[in-house]
Amino acid sequence: MWILRVNMNDRIYRLSEVPEAYKNLGGRGTTSTIVYDEVPPLCHPLGPNNKLVFAPGIVTGTAASTSARVSAGAKSWLTGGIKESNAGSSWASYLANMRIKALIVEGQPKEKGKYWMAHITWDDGAGKPKVSFLPADPYTGKDLYEVFPKVYEQFGARAAIAGCGVAGEYGYGNSGIAYNDLGKRPSRYSGRGGLGTVMASKGLKFIVLESKGAPGVAIANKEVFDRGAKKLTEALREHAITKPKGGLNTYGTAVLINIMNEAGGLPTRNFSSGRFEGAAKIAGEAIFEGVKNRLGKEVYNHACSPGCIIQCSNTWYKPDGTEHTSCVEYESDWALGANCGIDSLDDVAEMVRLCNAYGLDTIEAGTTLAVAMEAGVIPFGDGKKAIGLVQEMGKGTPLGRILGGGTEFTGRAFGVTRVPTVKRQSMPAYEPRAVKGIGITYATSTMGADHTAGYTIGPEILGVGGKVDPLSPEGKAALSRGFQATTAFIDSTGHCLFIAFAILDIPSGFEGMMEECNGVLGTNWASEDAAKIGGEILRKERAFNEAAGIGKAEDRVPEFMKFEPLPPHNQVYDVPDKVLDSVYGEL
Amino acid sequence: MSDMSVDVWLYGPLARYGKEADQGSFANLQMRLPDGSNMDALLRRLGINADERGITFINGQLSAMPGLQPDLGYTLSDGDRVGIFHPKSMWPFQYRHGASMTEEMARAMRQEKDHGLHHTYEEAGDSS
Repeated sequence: MWILRVNMNDRIYRLSEVPEAYKNLGGRGTTSTIVYDEVPPLCHPLGPNNKLVFAPGIVTGTAASTSARVSAGAKSWLTGGIKESNAGSSWASYLANMRIKALIVEGQPKEKGKYWMAHITWDDGAGKPKVSFLPADPYTGKDLYEVFPKVYEQFGARAAIAGCGVAGEYGYGNSGIAYNDLGKRPSRYSGRGGLGTVMASKGLKFIVLESKGAPGVAIANKEVFDRGAKKLTEALREHAITKPKGGLNTYGTAVLINIMNEAGGLPTRNFSSGRFEGAAKIAGEAIFEGVKNRLGKEVYNHACSPGCIIQCSNTWYKPDGTEHTSCVEYESDWALGANCGIDSLDDVAEMVRLCNAYGLDTIEAGTTLAVAMEAGVIPFGDGKKAIGLVQEMGKGTPLGRILGGGTEFTGRAFGVTRVPTVKRQSMPAYEPRAVKGIGITYATSTMGADHTAGYTIGPEILGVGGKVDPLSPEGKAALSRGFQATTAFIDSTGHCLFIAFAILDIPSGFEGMMEECNGVLGTNWASEDAAKIGGEILRKERAFNEAAGIGKAEDRVPEFMKFEPLPPHNQVYDVPDKVLDSVYGEL
Repeated sequence: MSDMSVDVWLYGPLARYGKEADQGSFANLQMRLPDGSNMDALLRRLGINADERGITFINGQLSAMPGLQPDLGYTLSDGDRVGIFHPKSMWPFQYRHGASMTEEMARAMRQEKDHGLHHTYEEAGDSS
């Protein structure tokens, strides 16, 4: 395995062996460890001392199901803290197939406004990856849907692409890194935390991979790996949520819109209500039915990346049956729909398409629009005007630049008090006043408000079997701590977090995941090691944040949630601060 | 005997039980039921077998999950909102941890394996 350093000062690269201490890391474990070890916590996120790290997971590139994830990490431009944001794409597998444990982008060109592409291929003769640098001028300032096909034309259909859009070039706090999906769309994202701008700040527009001839992932113990992969695959095929034609494959992640709405926990009109009267019109069920009506047949969802069994990515079609966009995820649907009071799937889909085109995080975009609506820039519920505001972001107009700064930045520009952020990152689609447990994770996560920071994989490893009452505040804090640790572990394996649905309920699936990792690495990890390894990652992330000036005073939900009751349950956020402090205090 | 009105939302394939209120992906209907009717009576009136429904809410409180239906005896009141989902719909534990539940559901969860810390309960059977 290699550590590949790409230095953008003068566009040189260096390959080195993986140090012993990094041997068993993967994904988030790799990116967070390298950021912790190498990035000065007080550096400017867009300066020469920040580093952007990409890492495939431990089993990425193998035959393990649903494992083509890549983690991107850096000091975040949005939060100022550590960031890891992962995505599913063939790009992840290519990196792994070339045995690149970590790709570290360092330095910064002196010349401003000049962008490059790094083309990484396998050098058969030398038996290692090689990098060439090409100018990216023809591709800057443009829509990624327009640019991706041209990049494929230049490098061939077997390439995989990661890159930033104009949002990154403009320097927005809201900017992601886009990766190709299986249909070659720029639609898979390391969306959160402004990593697109960190990439752009290095003068790097695209990283194009081609792994032809590469040896693939080395597996230390094939028998153990195969046994594990089989168990996990069986669990995914069996579980109601993850199986073919199950909940996710049918309705996509937007299966949760109607559920959260009935629960009174679907943030609506900038977190002023937990219920949206138009929810059923934009829900996963409506997407499934709408596609059926427009195409005249039932369409189940597709995989975002190679080897996925769950296949939860949908496509929305225009009335004439042509493709509008892929994919309308729950979070995007909610952020640009319910949270803006918009009940038109066509309008939501157009905004999703535009976010993909510009390189914007859909969550941050939707929560920003809602804050702008709160400020009176446009009315709640006006889909056409909302589309117009997203276009302003794409054009880089003065208003667009304010909005591109993100939710908190926009709140400051307009003097809005109801700003749903933690550590400057906006909240996703679960209202903490209605779902108290997720609020603890939002408040304390090292990432800022993040719905993917707290999944669980096995109750026994969390010690809930009789020890804690999961409904008490202390129980919720203990669970959030356990959830965050196990999530950091899954984020290191390269598996999509959604495998957690199956392996929590099917113990053999959980064993399978551990055996896959042991098979690849030659380790002897037992079940309880998952939370331990995850906990180590959290400690590094937390230490980085504290050194960057982000301490426990920022482990809080926004103040308005403590005194504004949320309809329909009319609850405030009442989890005591000492409970929040105990999450990392007792890690 | 006097009547009461219940605001019923049926989602996904259950929309068809809403008959003329069926919008394809959901149905919303105001149902008149005799005072004191319970969830079981509501489901019967709709023609929905208990195992055809999954996640259910009464006034925003979780009252049933697939395999865990402690709400059949729940007495409904005038003006209640009931949301009923197809068993395909899901609500992962971490996204409902600390959300409102009916008292019966909270009790049933506590009695479940691992205090109910699971996503599905189908093997656990009906604990109502």
